[in-house]
Amino acid sequence: MASTTSSPTVNTATMSQPPAEKPSAPPVNILPSQLARIYSFVHPALLLTLAASRFEAVVANPVQELLNDLPWLALLQLFFVILCVPPAGSLETASSGDNEEKKKASPRSPSAPRPGKSGHRRKQASGKNVWAGLWARLMPALLSVTLTTFIATPVLAALLVLFGAPLTTHNAETVLCAAHMAVLSASSLVYVHGTDGSVWKEVWGIARPADAVWGGALGTGLGAWFGAIPIPLDWDRPWQTFPITILAGAYIGYAAGSLISRTPFVYGKRVQFVPEVIEEDDKKTN
Amino acid sequence: MAFLRSGWAVVLANILVPLGILVFSSGFFPYKPLLPGLATFDEIDQNATPAIFDKVIFMVVDALRSDFVYSNESGFSFTQSLIRAGAALPFTAHASSPTVTMPRLKAMTTGSVPSFLDVILNIAESDTGSSLAYQDTWLAQLRARGDRLVMYGDDTWLKLFPGMFDRADGTTSFFVSDFTEVDNNVTRHVPDELAQSDWSAMIMHYLGLDHIGHKAGPRSPFMLSKQQEMDAIVDNIYTAIQHESHLESTLFVLCGDHGMNEAGNHGGSSAGETSPALLFISPKFETMDAPRAESPIATPDDLRFYQTVQQSDITATLAGLLGLPIPLNSLGVFIPGLLDMWESGSQKLQLLSRNARQLLKIAQSTFPSATFDAEAFSTCNPDNLSGIDEVQCTWSQAQKLLSEQHLSESEEAYPAIEQALLRFSRATQEVMSSTASNYDMSRLVAGLLILAVATSLLLPQIYHEFSRTVSTGIFLVFMVVGYGSMMFASSYVEEEQQFWYWICSGWMFYLHMRSESGSSRNSNVSRRKASSPFRWIKLATLGLIASHRVLRRWNQTGQKFTAEPDIARDFFPAHPNALWALVILTYVDSGYHLLAKMPSVAPAKLIALIIPALGFLFKLNFAANDSPELLADTPLSKLAGGWLGSLSLVLQARLVFGGLACCGLLAIVSAKRSHSTRASNALFHEALHLFLMTQSRITNVPVFLLFRTQGTMLSSLNLTGIEVTATTLILQYMTFFAFGGSNSISSVDLSSAYNGVGSYSVVCVGILTFVSNWAGPIWWISMGHLLRPPHTSENHRHDSAALFTFQVAASLLSVMAACTALRTHLFIWTVFSPKYLYSMAWAMANHVAVNILGGIGLACLWPRR
Repeated sequence: MASTTSSPTVNTATMSQPPAEKPSAPPVNILPSQLARIYSFVHPALLLTLAASRFEAVVANPVQELLNDLPWLALLQLFFVILCVPPAGSLETASSGDNEEKKKASPRSPSAPRPGKSGHRRKQASGKNVWAGLWARLMPALLSVTLTTFIATPVLAALLVLFGAPLTTHNAETVLCAAHMAVLSASSLVYVHGTDGSVWKEVWGIARPADAVWGGALGTGLGAWFGAIPIPLDWDRPWQTFPITILAGAYIGYAAGSLISRTPFVYGKRVQFVPEVIEEDDKKTN
Repeated sequence: MAFLRSGWAVVLANILVPLGILVFSSGFFPYKPLLPGLATFDEIDQNATPAIFDKVIFMVVDALRSDFVYSNESGFSFTQSLIRAGAALPFTAHASSPTVTMPRLKAMTTGSVPSFLDVILNIAESDTGSSLAYQDTWLAQLRARGDRLVMYGDDTWLKLFPGMFDRADGTTSFFVSDFTEVDNNVTRHVPDELAQSDWSAMIMHYLGLDHIGHKAGPRSPFMLSKQQEMDAIVDNIYTAIQHESHLESTLFVLCGDHGMNEAGNHGGSSAGETSPALLFISPKFETMDAPRAESPIATPDDLRFYQTVQQSDITATLAGLLGLPIPLNSLGVFIPGLLDMWESGSQKLQLLSRNARQLLKIAQSTFPSATFDAEAFSTCNPDNLSGIDEVQCTWSQAQKLLSEQHLSESEEAYPAIEQALLRFSRATQEVMSSTASNYDMSRLVAGLLILAVATSLLLPQIYHEFSRTVSTGIFLVFMVVGYGSMMFASSYVEEEQQFWYWICSGWMFYLHMRSESGSSRNSNVSRRKASSPFRWIKLATLGLIASHRVLRRWNQTGQKFTAEPDIARDFFPAHPNALWALVILTYVDSGYHLLAKMPSVAPAKLIALIIPALGFLFKLNFAANDSPELLADTPLSKLAGGWLGSLSLVLQARLVFGGLACCGLLAIVSAKRSHSTRASNALFHEALHLFLMTQSRITNVPVFLLFRTQGTMLSSLNLTGIEVTATTLILQYMTFFAFGGSNSISSVDLSSAYNGVGSYSVVCVGILTFVSNWAGPIWWISMGHLLRPPHTSENHRHDSAALFTFQVAASLLSVMAACTALRTHLFIWTVFSPKYLYSMAWAMANHVAVNILGGIGLACLWPRR
């Protein structure tokens, strides 16, 4: 639905490589360790396989099964982010001098190592600092669980209703669907970016540069939107009821999004909405 | 204005679209050859099968679904006792789509399968072309014999059969809320007519049950008492047949013309709509030694109780029982269960072979190339054949058996011959009922080509436009392509509203994202609009999404979820005070805006005060007549019941329309004086706003308040030209469905079609019907003129007409392609053809007439400085 082409005003250097002078947080790389690289590809596939294996049970009893699966999904996601992506605060974001007011996330984990320039890969913590490193990861993980439960889930549930989910019935299904989507999308975003206001502004405006975490989140949303397509068909299958196709779309979208956005062709690019506003602006200044 | 400066491609495309529709329609709606004249008996038939009955009482109960009579919950307890006694033979008469009254009456009287065009004629009721005065029907056959006919009930009969009845009293189904008067008006004639002996056919058509269905659905609390009332009439008539000597050989037929779905509507092809009950009742049937049917019985899923016959079979069966020739164009097959009324096997055979020969004539006239050569099909197996080949094969087999029987003169072969003849008749009926063979393919292709040319003419311009605004362009291309491919799937056509709700929420979210990302990254963008703070834009887009969410729940439409609770049909009847508070608020709001937009002259301001008040009183009075349950227990009911009720609705509507016309004139005059296009456009829009409110159902009136807030929010977003076009385009379709529209014929809302119309006029009623069904789209077309950015510089001029035309042409092209590709599909007449009719209305009326011509009209009325 949106283009990935470049805007005339954005420096072309931002297109294919991590930006150096971008005002907001750069795209996130998968950690360099061998295990992280391998598991980052296994993870989406694993999620899809598990989701497929539970599909029948979800169709039979959506509320119970979604509720049962939720902690396992959260554990898997946390495992993935702790293993594969840098936690919040580990990335230097000081390069943006013009919007300091948004940088509130950094002090959250003071013990986290700061490798310096943004875009550089985080160095492995030395053996002495293993515990400190683990702590630096557990804090964002805890934050991630809290925020996902108390903010992302209600927000996504409200969005689901705005997009047409039933309001007077199926409330448990809506909340659980939102919770699954939140764990898929928001948990890793929180883990990586903490409460960085500028990042979340970009997230809300679908303006993040593509990376595995953001790609998964965007894919979850888009997939859920496309997941509504089979519902009106007159096949009268039990899986056509409300949350199932939406969630299936979200899972597939998550897997596809997190894999596609990591490819060199897409990585670091942004969805462009407003070339014509700029044109109009030019007109006015003329 | 943009429309006048549009390129030649847009002008040409807008000429090609109606042309393509004309060409395609002429090939798509086939002309069925009708055999002229009345059928007569051959000499050998004259006295072969004596008439069993000499009189018929034909009682139609509108929308009498099979389970209303046969199920355990039925109120027809006397009728069920007749079934158990064997005096009533129960059937389910399959009513083919379109399941609306007029085509169904045609099927039951001529025995033919009415063409799809009859649906349109059903709406334009008084059209004389649909009259059956010159067609062969069992009524015409009776009349030709010199018999007398009487008719009481639905005046559709009087329109179909002008001059046919000696005594008649028609009732109109104008106000659907009337459950009792329409039926009492029929019942009061029954005792008198039963005492008379001069007629040989009495037709009664009761409308009350249908009205209850339309109002409150098949589970309405009124339904059982209405069924019991109908049952009491059956009791009366049956008792009279038993006791009155002049009625002793009278056949009593009780049937429904169509059924209803779970929402109480009809027109489509669901099991409920196509399964009306059919009963042949007479004391004579008790003597037949057929096994007695059980009654009541449990309801089958498909509502097919007992034996299912075709509705057209009624004609052939009646003709046989009354000793009449079978009407020429009848496709009916004599119902085998009634053959036992004749004693001898040869008489039964006579009857069936007469039926078969009559069907053969139709098949021969439709398929001149078919030889019906017994030699060519001497060794065929009908199970492996289809179409006309199967018909020819079954005919040759029946002929073979007949000639063998002639030689042997034995009666043992009778059952086998009967089966062969029935098989031929059924095969012919099936082949002749499906009109697949009658399409004019060359015209279909020509129509498709014309539309393809119209679409491709616009492609360069659209490509140029989209390449400047890539993300919007991709969204719109996705929308047009998605819509086009959706037209090939019957369930997506039935549930088209889901597509537009889906696209609309996506588009509004896109607008939200755009304002978000635009303001966060191009900070100069958010600063440039000092008048509309950034915060407000955020709220505006979220408010848009929320209001859209409310709107999609206003009227549940489509097929799959149509019975689910919604605001208009469930919330408002339960909370009438909320409805009327919102309606009053909407009228106050429109009055306020009209007052503000009026030129500041005292008489003009006075008009602006009076018209909304008049409009509200008209709506109140209309609701008091049409849906009094919405007024019950509200403070307004006293007002409506008092002096207001004494005023004529027609006069009130005319006053409102007259006042609005004055507003339109004022807009033109003030435009000429002050040269302010925008102000006059706004005044015109306010007048239109009130007109559309008058033409909408009362439960939909508060939607205009939502429209107002949506319009305000959209204008605060400072949309670019192409975004305005895309937004209004999506909202046109979205609101059409939110008002309760769908792609089914049954959802055409006729309740406001007669506002201010004293005597029937096709043009007036047609325009009012269109406006009341397309109120949402018309409002958004008008709003689009106001939303368009005021100064678009020449080099980046956005041509909204090109985009609108492109969308209309592309969607029409895909609908036509779907109708052509799926012309043999099971649902072609129930899903795809109605969609094509709706697309025609979208393209011709909404796009060409209102959007393009309306835009040109606005541009001409107030030329720019």
